[in-house]
Amino acid sequence: MPAESGKRFKPSKYVPVSAAAIFLVGATTLFFAFTCPGLSLYVSPAVPIYNAVVFLFVLANFSMATFMDPGIFPRAEEDEDKEDDFRAPLYKTVEIKGIQVRMKWCATCRFYRPPRCSHCSVCDNCVEEFDHHCPWVNNCIGRRNYRYFFLFLLSLTAHIMGVFGFGLLYVLYHMEELSGVRTAVTMAVMCVAGLFFIPVAGLTGFHVVLVARGRTTNEQVTGKFRGGVNPFTNGCCNNVSRVLCSSPAPRYLGRPKKEKTIVIRPPFLRPEVSDGQITVKIMDNGIQGELRRSKSKGSLEITESQSADAEPPPPPKPDLSRYTGLRTHLSLATNEDSSLLGKDSPPTPTMYKYRPGYSSSSTSAAMPHSSSAKLSRGDSLKEPTSIAESSRHPSYRSEPSLEPESFRSPTFGKSFHFDPLSSGSRSSSLKSAQGTGFELGQLQSIRSEGTTSTSYKSLANQTRNGSLSYDSLLTPSDSPDFESVQAGPEPDPPLGYTSPFLSARLAQQREAERHPRLVPTGPTHREPSPVRYDNLSRHIVASLQEREKLLRQSPPLPGREEEPGLGDSGIQSTPGSGHAPRTSSSSDDSKRSPLVKTPLGRPAAPRFGKPDGLRGRGLGSPEPGPTAPYLGRSMSYSSQKAPPGVSEAEEVALQPLLTPKDEVQLKTAYSKSNGQPKSIGSASPGPGQPPLSSPTRGGVKKVSGVGGTTYEISV
Amino acid sequence: MQLECKTYSRDYGSEEVGQGLETESSASLVHNLQELRRSASLATKVFIQRDYSDGTICQFQTKFPPELDSRIERQLFEETVKTLNSFYAEAEKIGGSSYLEGCLACATAYFIFLCMETHYEKVLKKISRYIQEQNEKIFAPRGLLLTDPVERGMRVIRKMKSWWAAGPGIGL
Repeated sequence: MPAESGKRFKPSKYVPVSAAAIFLVGATTLFFAFTCPGLSLYVSPAVPIYNAVVFLFVLANFSMATFMDPGIFPRAEEDEDKEDDFRAPLYKTVEIKGIQVRMKWCATCRFYRPPRCSHCSVCDNCVEEFDHHCPWVNNCIGRRNYRYFFLFLLSLTAHIMGVFGFGLLYVLYHMEELSGVRTAVTMAVMCVAGLFFIPVAGLTGFHVVLVARGRTTNEQVTGKFRGGVNPFTNGCCNNVSRVLCSSPAPRYLGRPKKEKTIVIRPPFLRPEVSDGQITVKIMDNGIQGELRRSKSKGSLEITESQSADAEPPPPPKPDLSRYTGLRTHLSLATNEDSSLLGKDSPPTPTMYKYRPGYSSSSTSAAMPHSSSAKLSRGDSLKEPTSIAESSRHPSYRSEPSLEPESFRSPTFGKSFHFDPLSSGSRSSSLKSAQGTGFELGQLQSIRSEGTTSTSYKSLANQTRNGSLSYDSLLTPSDSPDFESVQAGPEPDPPLGYTSPFLSARLAQQREAERHPRLVPTGPTHREPSPVRYDNLSRHIVASLQEREKLLRQSPPLPGREEEPGLGDSGIQSTPGSGHAPRTSSSSDDSKRSPLVKTPLGRPAAPRFGKPDGLRGRGLGSPEPGPTAPYLGRSMSYSSQKAPPGVSEAEEVALQPLLTPKDEVQLKTAYSKSNGQPKSIGSASPGPGQPPLSSPTRGGVKKVSGVGGTTYEISV
Repeated sequence: MQLECKTYSRDYGSEEVGQGLETESSASLVHNLQELRRSASLATKVFIQRDYSDGTICQFQTKFPPELDSRIERQLFEETVKTLNSFYAEAEKIGGSSYLEGCLACATAYFIFLCMETHYEKVLKKISRYIQEQNEKIFAPRGLLLTDPVERGMRVIRKMKSWWAAGPGIGL
């Protein structure tokens, strides 16, 4: 037998089924040959007929159970995979009749296993309503062939009982000729029958109970519904009728594909576009943003309520809808922006384009070295871009994929091959899979993804308008809020938090602008950064200031050193694996969580993910590689760990950048607060951290974020 | 199982797609479904996921994907999905006909399956015809294509979107 790749002919797996077949057919044949003739004479000719019918039934069901496709799911195609690709969480939760059921990502088959579906390691297939893999039939028992397996067990039990009973009858009739051939053979058959009766009857009884309860063997053995409610049961009668009386399910593999011809020709019908849908372009920093925000909010709410998918068990609310609702607006805008950006003259690297503030007169104080900063920043950006591309850090990549490929800048775009929709849906599925504590991450990721595209738009607008502000950088909120945030003149009390990607250096520079006295402390920490953000908004500067103070006040957190290493190993492996996503389930599983979390934890991650993360590297971080991984890692942990982990991870991530940890903590806190529907009472950075939010300047500033979220930022 | 809705997109930035589509867009296009499927990688795909809220019965989410917001009316889409759901409910219905079918199959030692197709399969054929019809009448004029969920194990309905249908500056 020719060995296929990855599939070797293993004779050992055919032993049980062969033995079963041999015993079954052999014993029955002997019974028919030796016992039945006598019985038909002494008892009735109906005996062999009955036994023949039963035996035929056994054989038919045995064959069906053995050869029938149990309901194997075909492997998911590439395009579907991209939706849920790396960065997607390991589990996706669905609510079934009020009960949260987890759908696990199958690394081999590349989709989220539907409820009751399981992957059979023997057959290497995901099977619908997987019961178990039966060695005696050498086949998985699933939705399609469970009925035949069950009937096989029933009929086999009946057959064994019949053979044993009638054999006993025969022996009783021939007590005086026990050494005779027929009697001896009959006794042998009886022994075989008696031997097999106990396990078979036991198994039959077990499955009768399962059918009555509406459970599969897999569920029973793994104790899924132990002490809980089984959402798949419809009552005993309905369960039994469903097993025995329902129409056999179709097979999914090997279906004939019909060639169909469909004419697609323009002009294409289009639904009437409502006003709300039209406002895509953001010409103004604030006005349109508000429009879009309200629109997106509305759509988010609507879709949210409708979505049955995704959500960490206790809390409700699918981000899928939220995200997709947002994405529509974003994508609508991004296309325009692509054209806008294309017209932009500055021959800067793509990433550089998306940095607000440097390219033109910014609203903030004019910086003498802004031009040089621009250039230097551009250079540094180029490097991070290439690094990003080479590392293919998922967190950076998933965000920008919101835009259509064409739109993506060459630097970004090369590494991405996803449609905005696919990336969006991926992110949404990603978000949807979050656990309780993930809601924040989810919101953030939504926001971040929104912000990414929004940032493009806003940048495009700004480059055109010539007025840039870093306010957009500050807000981790969704893109719609970008403009709203930007539109409003930077409020005087600066926001207490900034993008996690703003390095301490930047922060220091900012602070230096505002408070010259702080300048000396900044440069001492690090080499001069090639990138300078001279026109960071007041908010950033203020927050940086705050952090500086806090950094000086609070001691460095312990255990931070561990994280970088972990982050390194965790994340650096993931970029490679991220794009070869789920070949090995074990590694994938381990990587999934970090991967998944990556975009989630960051408040402004996605938008800043590309520029910022890369920027961070360019900003003088001595290790360009680990930086993104750190950040990515922090993201991955953020979604899973408790907030302390997040803040720590973020701290660690920023440590090479010499960002004051408080900055991270603040951001974490704010990012967390972003996830909450309403503002948190006080901007607490997170448990375990010194009270960073203690307003040194006295007062808490409320900043509105996306979707009506308000953040209270200590000022 | 997903409902898959394909949108064919012209990627302005991508040479391969752009060239191919630009030459074609000027003329009326007759696309073989196979061709559409081949160019699936170039199409934007919207996946409509299964709705498991009622258990493992086959039904799809009627939630309107935002990506199709400007492509198709919400009502049309929902109606299509609801009809599909009703078809699947009919296929999985446990009633007299399915019981008799089972009995007959048992009586003939399942040889009847060689001659006759099951009730489910019959309904699947109906669904396939319905999807084709919908594609021709409703989705293709909008530059969309609905794929039969059974091709993907009934996990997803895929809609493929065409960018030719996209107006300027709109890319979903």
